[in-house]
Amino acid sequence: MSYCVNCGVELEASLKKCPLCHTPVVNPLQSNTEFPPSPYPTDKGQVEVVKRKDLGILLSVVLSATSITCFLLNLLVFDASLWSLTVIGCCICLFVFTFPAIFYSKTPIYVSLLADGVSVAVYLFLISFLTSSTTWFWQLGLPIVVMLTVCAEVFPLLSRFFPLTILPCSLCIFVEIPAFCVSLELLIKHLLNRPYRITWSAVVLTVCVIIDFALITILAKKRLRNEVRRRLHF
Amino acid sequence: MPNYPHSTTRKPKQARNGKSGRNKKDVWYKLDLSAIVYPTLQRRDFSSVYRLSVMLKETVDPVLLQAALDKTLPRFPTYRVAIRKGLFWRYLEPNTRPGPYVMEDIKNPCMPMPFKGNNRYLIRLYYFDRRISLEAHHCLGDGTGGMCLLQTLTAAYLDLLGHPVTPEGFVLDIHTDPDPEELEDAYMRYANAQVCPPRPAEKTYRVRGTKEPFYTLNIIDGILSVQEVMTVARKYNASITEYLNAVLLYALLQKQNADFHIRLRPVRIAMPVNLRRFFPSKTLRNFITMVYPSIDPRLGNYRFEEIVEHIHHYMRYYINDKFLRGDITTNAATQRNPLIRIVPLFIKDLVVRTFYTKVQDKNSSAGLTNMGALHVPDNMKPYIERFDIYMGQPFSSRTNCAIISFEDILTINFASSIMEADVERYFFRKLVQDGIHVKIESNRTL
Repeated sequence: MSYCVNCGVELEASLKKCPLCHTPVVNPLQSNTEFPPSPYPTDKGQVEVVKRKDLGILLSVVLSATSITCFLLNLLVFDASLWSLTVIGCCICLFVFTFPAIFYSKTPIYVSLLADGVSVAVYLFLISFLTSSTTWFWQLGLPIVVMLTVCAEVFPLLSRFFPLTILPCSLCIFVEIPAFCVSLELLIKHLLNRPYRITWSAVVLTVCVIIDFALITILAKKRLRNEVRRRLHF
Repeated sequence: MPNYPHSTTRKPKQARNGKSGRNKKDVWYKLDLSAIVYPTLQRRDFSSVYRLSVMLKETVDPVLLQAALDKTLPRFPTYRVAIRKGLFWRYLEPNTRPGPYVMEDIKNPCMPMPFKGNNRYLIRLYYFDRRISLEAHHCLGDGTGGMCLLQTLTAAYLDLLGHPVTPEGFVLDIHTDPDPEELEDAYMRYANAQVCPPRPAEKTYRVRGTKEPFYTLNIIDGILSVQEVMTVARKYNASITEYLNAVLLYALLQKQNADFHIRLRPVRIAMPVNLRRFFPSKTLRNFITMVYPSIDPRLGNYRFEEIVEHIHHYMRYYINDKFLRGDITTNAATQRNPLIRIVPLFIKDLVVRTFYTKVQDKNSSAGLTNMGALHVPDNMKPYIERFDIYMGQPFSSRTNCAIISFEDILTINFASSIMEADVERYFFRKLVQDGIHVKIESNRTL
């Protein structure tokens, strides 16, 4: 029978340390190897994995069948253009988007979002075969997808450091929107070989900067924050 | 009017008499008022599962235990069910799949219970050495219902060992049909106050700690003498529940003071109250409501004696049939609202989950339940050493405390999913300071 010298509680015979304060049990009358087995089991249980195999199989079959039949239809019947590429790209996107929910729920959020971005980029690339030139894809389509993916990745990254409630979320969105709009306008200007001057995106930028300052002030002042919460509660 | 099980082929006479004349596939059960919330909170790493254990004086024989379970479960139709989704609400339907099967106990009790796992059963039965443990999803019933099942099962097990037990109290006769009142949603029978009192909704102190990896539930059991605790509680002019509540609040206050904090917050305990004490019902489903004894340290420093006195008066004031009826009526009001009823389930889920995460979960610093003194039939007593109860995995990082007593053994079971055991330490040290002998057991890897 051992007692914790710190807590004063009696410790069950198998305990080598006090579970409350981690003080080791030192009993001069008992050797260190003489601890009886714990009254608790030692094997850990595992939660039974509920397989969504059926739904996964169904989705894979439907998407594959759609892609293959459309491709064959394109090849053998309506062969004026490569229209089936849009359907195939759409199926790839759907598969990638639903992958974390159906097939492997442990996919890290960053990887999922990156895969989503890649699938959309592939979709646009396939569409570019239907157009006369692929310049728009490399100079506009791909950079837009990259920017959107980065914007989306910012949210889970920030949520690791800050609580993502409505106000910080809004702030993040209103920082991302002007950045995206300015970049978009510059990309369009670059594609059209026009001088790099922002016009319409400057309006968006101005509005968002005003909103950002307002949000930062609200976030910084507790009284204002509470007032906003009170007025906008639902 | 009691809310009896539903049937698509109506045979009211048979239903009232409790005969099994109906086709089992036609029977289904609405979730009771409390049970509606629990499946909504289900996550990959969280289920509202509680555990009840009985420690016998002899090693458990798993083969006989399985036989006892097979004999007992038909007597508890609301525990032999699977949960299904409807368009507007979830419901329970009889489960005829094989199982549930007795399993050897594990180190991490109350682990998540996926609805489609375990052949869709929402109970698990474990054995380890001399201990039989029943884990049940809270949507099936509360601790009283679970205890009825566990004690009846234990009686059936002892019967198979050649020690017959007379059905009495929590031990039901497995050879009779279930009383329809055992299956009712008793809330609806008593939710008839003329006013819906508002609930406290204020952010409270949250125990911060290092989250344990998934699949870990830390347990610290304190074993005490009922007589000793009662003597000390009387010294403070309080009951055992009031005294232990005060000790937990005192421990939480100490923890808050020791933690880094910019401002102090109120410390509040969520304590389920068994409504059967106030509103007669034989139901084996949920029939509990929550009360929230609290201390606000912003008002000043509370001495322990003041906390006990505060809790004593709080309990006397709030735990009575009038206030509890009002509380049930408030709960039932949302379910009765026709506009809410026609909202699709996925929207209800979204709203309830958000409300629970943002408001309800932040409304209390810890959970404490006291099942009180358990009585078992006289001819069952010699085979039982003690009972344990675990409130299960907390929804967020905090500690849950559950108390149960049998004969002169009072067991205080703490369950938490954080590494630090500060609250438990302050709690048990206070008991020791008050002159109570405490024996500690734990599944923690130290």
